[in-house]
Amino acid sequence: MKKNVLLNPLYALLLLVLGLSGCSIGSAVQPWEKETLARPEMTFEGDPLDNKYTEHIYSSKEAASGGAGVGGGGCGCN
Amino acid sequence: MKSLPTKKTHVIGAALFAAAMTLPFSNAAFAEAAPEKGIVAFKYLNYKESQPVSEDRMSVNAYTVSAMAPIAGKWSISTSYTYDSVTGASPDYHSNIDHFISGASPIREQRDAGDLSVTRYLPQGSVTVGGSYSEENDYISRGYSAQASISTEDKNTTFTFGGSYTTDTIAANNSEWRDLGRIEEKRTVAGALGVTQVLTKQDIVQLNLGYSKGRGYFDDPYKTYDYRPDRRESKTVMTRWNHHFAAIDGTSHLSYRYYTDSFGIRAHTFGLEYLQSLPHEWTVTPSVRFYSQTAADFYLPVDPADPGRNDYFLPLFIAGTPLGITSMDQRLSSFGALTLGIKVEKRIAKDWIVDLKYENYEQRAGWSMTGGGDPGLKPFSASFVQVGLSREF
Repeated sequence: MKKNVLLNPLYALLLLVLGLSGCSIGSAVQPWEKETLARPEMTFEGDPLDNKYTEHIYSSKEAASGGAGVGGGGCGCN
Repeated sequence: MKSLPTKKTHVIGAALFAAAMTLPFSNAAFAEAAPEKGIVAFKYLNYKESQPVSEDRMSVNAYTVSAMAPIAGKWSISTSYTYDSVTGASPDYHSNIDHFISGASPIREQRDAGDLSVTRYLPQGSVTVGGSYSEENDYISRGYSAQASISTEDKNTTFTFGGSYTTDTIAANNSEWRDLGRIEEKRTVAGALGVTQVLTKQDIVQLNLGYSKGRGYFDDPYKTYDYRPDRRESKTVMTRWNHHFAAIDGTSHLSYRYYTDSFGIRAHTFGLEYLQSLPHEWTVTPSVRFYSQTAADFYLPVDPADPGRNDYFLPLFIAGTPLGITSMDQRLSSFGALTLGIKVEKRIAKDWIVDLKYENYEQRAGWSMTGGGDPGLKPFSASFVQVGLSREF
């Protein structure tokens, strides 16, 4: 029997997050209110070299990888 | 005594740090404006792993330099170069390093890798293209990526789209006799979609969906009886939430990733870190990460009566019967893993920052959220130490 697509956890999560983001539309943050959001620690980029090292370690010691964007490459990781 | 076919020295050949590492992909929070300052950074990593009864497991030293420069207010160019060297040995099967097969002396291997990307900034978005290259004696990886972001007029919502193509060439020159001298290929295409949303003056959230499809050589040539499917498809969903605590000038980063693939692996990853600003330009960041995965459909657990699985495989092997899809790689078993870390940063002069980070990682079969861990596997642990220096100009 074909699985109900709405029962897939991926889609459920997507709907949840889109719902959450929808909540904010009524009270949009104005450009002059973004001083805190512009701080480096509020970005998702973080420390790129730190992320590069740790993501690589995890992708070679665990089966899962990726998620933060397009990326990753092949490796003969042991 | 073991009567496996002789195999050349196994070691980490290709190594932990083989790879094109991360292709250039910005996870920036908003449709970014072109950067006003450039940055040059250096980071050193020491990685050391241990497992009971395998005293000579892997150790890695890696060195990376990176630079980003703004150009004419509308462009930026980023590049990095990494050199790393690996010593030690990786298991032949399960948690075992079999000195009869692999020889006792560790071998040293090196890798060089570089990447380059160019970004064009537009009034409500950006476009980035990049390439990467990584080479070691038995593994070459080349990657190409492109990504675009577009924001709503109020810049509170940003959508990102990206794609990448990676082609790997694997020389199975350290492997079992079965593959000796063969040159194998692996090609992977991947796509990602993301949305970043400003929720309040102190909250920003992100959702990323990822898909990847690879064809080619997925076996681990360093392992005994390792035969994996020649296709792998994976999907990821990742959510992140950054929150700033104004009263104490601290910031939390919360993340969750769900991963599923055609090998039958499903994994959950939870991350939490908290950055605390302190007087005199210090920042302290404790962090915790928990990871749990199910086993691959074709993972073969430890048999206490036949740890090397020779009674199981050898008669088939001698009879020339195909051994089917199977692996005794610990990384394809069901397990949970916990990382605890602390990072200390200090701005030592107007444009200079130094940082030091220590993380301790432990993997155990009994920690899997979904159960089903292989009790025959030994716990695995590792420590990561990073030292960095960066300068804006």
